[in-house]
Amino acid sequence: MSTLRRVLITGSTRGIGQATAERMAQDGDEIILHGRRADEVEVAVAALGGRASAVSGVSGDLGDRAAVARIADEAGDVDVLINGAGIYREMAVGAIDEAGWRETIAVNLTAPWLLTRSLLPGLRRRGGVVINVASDAGLIGFAGGSVYCASKGGLIGLTKALAVELAPAVRAIAICPGPVETDMMRQAVSEAADPQAARRQWNEYTHLRRVAQPHEIAAIIAFAASEAAGFATGAVWLIDGGVTAGRKV
Amino acid sequence: MKFDFSGRMALVTGGGRGLGLAIVQALREAGARVAINDRTSAMVADAILRLGGGEGLMPAPADLAAIGGPEHAVTQALDAFGGLDMLVNNAAVNIENPIEATDDALWDLHLDVVLRAPLFTIKAALPALARAEGAIVNIASELALHAIPNNVAYVAAKHGLVAMTRALAIELAPERVRINALCPGTMDTELMRECAEASGDAAGYYRAFAAYHPLGRIATPQEIAGFVLCLLSPAAAFMTGSAIAIDGGSTAGRRWEG
Repeated sequence: MSTLRRVLITGSTRGIGQATAERMAQDGDEIILHGRRADEVEVAVAALGGRASAVSGVSGDLGDRAAVARIADEAGDVDVLINGAGIYREMAVGAIDEAGWRETIAVNLTAPWLLTRSLLPGLRRRGGVVINVASDAGLIGFAGGSVYCASKGGLIGLTKALAVELAPAVRAIAICPGPVETDMMRQAVSEAADPQAARRQWNEYTHLRRVAQPHEIAAIIAFAASEAAGFATGAVWLIDGGVTAGRKV
Repeated sequence: MKFDFSGRMALVTGGGRGLGLAIVQALREAGARVAINDRTSAMVADAILRLGGGEGLMPAPADLAAIGGPEHAVTQALDAFGGLDMLVNNAAVNIENPIEATDDALWDLHLDVVLRAPLFTIKAALPALARAEGAIVNIASELALHAIPNNVAYVAAKHGLVAMTRALAIELAPERVRINALCPGTMDTELMRECAEASGDAAGYYRAFAAYHPLGRIATPQEIAGFVLCLLSPAAAFMTGSAIAIDGGSTAGRRWEG
């Protein structure tokens, strides 16, 4: 990289966001970490500090609009906004209540929108990039996932709308991971009635017969944000082990 | 194509005008009883009047953007009919604005009407629809498949609606409730005429939208309504979780105008 880029990554105290922070710090970018809890952000900043040119942190609940505004304010101008934070709550349609709806839509869809709008002047000036971490669930449906799928499908739509409206100044790309071995998945597996069977089921769910490691998603995000991907905008990139490509009988 | 919905009961949201009204009319002509939802009682009463009176038509006014609105619409339909075979989530808002001018209220309005309302309408209607092994059509948009500038909230919400449709198709399949999304292009509705007149150059506005669609015209609400009936009918008995474009080719590709 010729110049130090400022990169804000939401949800970067663990999982895909953390791996992306590590990867982009290695590439020489200035990283602004974000997590819901200040103490977790502190730990993540300390952990990354030794390996990055510049690391800072912001914390706050992305479901709270005042907090989102403050996060954008504290982050200041950025070259790259990576909306990595997301939540998944399985809810059958008959059990969805107002709070469940609001929480998922607020964090997964509205927060990326609010952050993009707040940071837009800087993104325009700097010729920036917005990377939205969506999901294969934005493209194919899952039982019990109607709210999550709506939020991720909406995030893909948001990405395309940003791309066509903000071009040529700002690029926008949606990254759609399939299953990734994050804390979230490890916890779900360990809590399953038969953890070994749950692990096997996850592996067999993809055509590559394994789940992704966070660094594999991080590498694609870093590439999407780089000049090498300078002609890509409005794109929806799948990194799902073939899940959405088709099914076996 | 002719469909027979005799004895069937439907709820159409946003049925007071435009595509919704055309769907109500088509369903009624096919023999169905239809509960008409729109924002106010007056809008629904006006629609019933325009359709020539009450036989088989029931009012179900409710503001779907409000908490409890979707449930209120469904309750009125169920009270009137005692059951429900078909649900058409048609109500929408579409207010164009550049990104910087899209404030929180406008964003929320689009997400509430386009995304939240269909979900909670389906939730409320589901026990009845499951008993009937019924069918749902979500009216999405060609903008659920691609984007145009100055419409970010609408584009995001409509993309979300298609994704939600797919999730619900998987979830509701064991109950034999089908759900599909229809993605129409621009239609010649009252809203279109209002926008054309507001533009100051109505003819130019129409020409631009006609040219935007490779078939060189915009759609009539009636031809889109016909397709909605097809999706609700046994002709589509094996269809669920689909997002079908009926857009004059607008999402199919681009012509090089050299």
